[in-house]
Amino acid sequence: MPVILEAVQLTKQYQEYTALRQLSLSIDTGEIFCLLGQNGAGKTTTINLFLGFLEASEGKALINGIEVRPNSNATRQHIAYIPEVVQLYGNLSGIENLDFFSRLAGFTYSKQELAAFLQKAGLQQEANSKRLAAYSKGMRQKVAIAIALAKNATVIFMDEPTSGLDPRATAEFTAICKELAAAGKTIFMATHDIFNAVNLGSRIGIMKQGSLVHTVHTSGISATELQQLYLETI
Amino acid sequence: MNEIKIIAGHFLKITFRSRMLVTIYAVWLLLVVFAAFTGYSTYTTQNTLRTQLQQQARQSWEANPDKHPHRMAHFGSFAFRLKHPLSMFDYGMESYTGNAVFLEAHKQNTVNFSEAGFSTGLLRFGEISLSVLVQLLLPLVLFFLGFHTVARQKENGTLKIVLSQGTGLGAVIWGNSLGLFVLSVLFLLPVAVAAFVQMMLQQQLPADGFVITRGLWLLLVCMGYLWVVSTVAICVSASSTGSRAALLKLLGIWLLMAIVLPKTLQAVGSAVYPAPGKFEFETAVEEDMLKIGDSHNPKDAHFARLKDSVLKAHHADSIQQLPFNYGGFQMREGERLSAEVYNQHLKGLYNTYTRQNAISNYAAFINPFIGVKNISMALSGTDFTAYRHFQNHAEAYRYQLAQTMNELQMEHISNTAPAKDAKPLSIGKEHWTAFPDFRYTHQSVQAITQQQLPAVAAIVIWFLFSFAFIYFTAASAKVL
Repeated sequence: MPVILEAVQLTKQYQEYTALRQLSLSIDTGEIFCLLGQNGAGKTTTINLFLGFLEASEGKALINGIEVRPNSNATRQHIAYIPEVVQLYGNLSGIENLDFFSRLAGFTYSKQELAAFLQKAGLQQEANSKRLAAYSKGMRQKVAIAIALAKNATVIFMDEPTSGLDPRATAEFTAICKELAAAGKTIFMATHDIFNAVNLGSRIGIMKQGSLVHTVHTSGISATELQQLYLETI
Repeated sequence: MNEIKIIAGHFLKITFRSRMLVTIYAVWLLLVVFAAFTGYSTYTTQNTLRTQLQQQARQSWEANPDKHPHRMAHFGSFAFRLKHPLSMFDYGMESYTGNAVFLEAHKQNTVNFSEAGFSTGLLRFGEISLSVLVQLLLPLVLFFLGFHTVARQKENGTLKIVLSQGTGLGAVIWGNSLGLFVLSVLFLLPVAVAAFVQMMLQQQLPADGFVITRGLWLLLVCMGYLWVVSTVAICVSASSTGSRAALLKLLGIWLLMAIVLPKTLQAVGSAVYPAPGKFEFETAVEEDMLKIGDSHNPKDAHFARLKDSVLKAHHADSIQQLPFNYGGFQMREGERLSAEVYNQHLKGLYNTYTRQNAISNYAAFINPFIGVKNISMALSGTDFTAYRHFQNHAEAYRYQLAQTMNELQMEHISNTAPAKDAKPLSIGKEHWTAFPDFRYTHQSVQAITQQQLPAVAAIVIWFLFSFAFIYFTAASAKVL
């Protein structure tokens, strides 16, 4: 599989503080890469560097072979982003939110097509026209996934997406992510959830104080072993 | 461009869904109706009254019997200042400036009877006019409706999703600015309709008022101003770390622009260029008048010299031999000299006021509110220049009245005093009718534009600056 995401000696320094140190990483198309680490380990900084919201102090981030800075407008054509808390616009319905974000990305869909994306993301049809303010966190996550689907993003960045979700919503979310990966989408996820990372990810990275300390394939490690490794690392 | 349209439409959509907007708009409409009614009522009442009083003054003038023209010069007349129809939109200085002046020979009376002079202290709390709503209150409403636009999206992470769709921060700022501007136009619309209805309710609009031209200029300037306000609101929102910070900054800007700067600059103007008080001014005029002499006093040195030179020029030994009435000639000369002295002092006073106002006029480059206020007052005929224009008009009429009476005296009154029991020297009353009535004409739009060039230039620069502001905010604002 071709490499879709690449970090080359990627570093982010805030004066004396190094948020990310010499990160080198390659992620293939269709891979689900989970980044584990404590708060402040550099997970979100890595995502923000790939999204082009931060400028690297050293090194470079590449998406589909294109350096993010100064081409963030071009690289953003390929990506979608799902934050920990998806707020979107509370006084618009799910379908209206999806319509707005799709049109921003340059796609104009009919109401039926938009409803189909929401359904594919796992949102129940009767919720489509309800205002987002009445949605649960899991439902809003699904709208964010529908936004990624409607955009036909090849890489989806997720920042602690299962944080605060109940077990059922987490399971639904995991299933959707697997479907996305099976469809060739690459998922780059920052998470604290070790068990979900093992269950969902194809590879896992463990970060500590801005450095990527370990990278493991989930095929060769159990959740307990990963937890042990994680605890030893941090 | 498409992204900007999408974001602008989205801004309007989510704003229209807000119940807060319905409440604000309802209050706004009530205020517009109140301000429009108050403006209409004041204008109609005042202009009707002033027109009637002007007619009464004329009738009183014409009703005089055969009389000595100099008595008529002292009988005098009144000049009433008719409001410009757009004063219904912007009251400007109208409430504080006088609107009637008694015109008589030898004396330049002050313009009196301001509305403030007949009002309670409540006037000091300010008036709610349509212009106050558009220029002062609407920016506050726009700041309130726009402060959270980008800042809240930044706070809750939605902005990152928006930007990850491939949209630039520039498009976000442009789109929201455009959306807020369209919203501001929706607030402006009932004001424009109210002003239009105010005009339509008038039986006749003054031909020299150029109401449509002035109104369209006013609309254009207000729209430019609202665009600047909209972009400031969105740029501050985009460059702030959170919506609370954005609101505080915008409230600070509003206070500074609408209250602190105008008041401070007014005080600075008065301190840097102090103007004499009314008593001081009148004393200075009086002192200079005394220096040139008293045309009523036959023993006055200046006028005694004048008499000698006139007699010499006409090879006459006494005024009885002169081909004209010497008293009229002397009054004409006295009027000319006293008017010269007065006008010289008045010019000096006006120059001081002009310097004071210049500080405020050029402050429009740092405060667009001052610029739009100055242009609005000027186009509505309610600024100091419009008042001064009336005062000049009235003084020119007074001078013409006095000198016409002096010339009638020179032409028709004998130099020989009548016998003790004879009829007093007089001329026919037809002369009073022949003298034209006072008619005030408003300034031309061209003259106003020339006077307001600094303010116009400032608004144009602010308009252009708004684009630069968007550009630099988009380039420097932090998404995280």
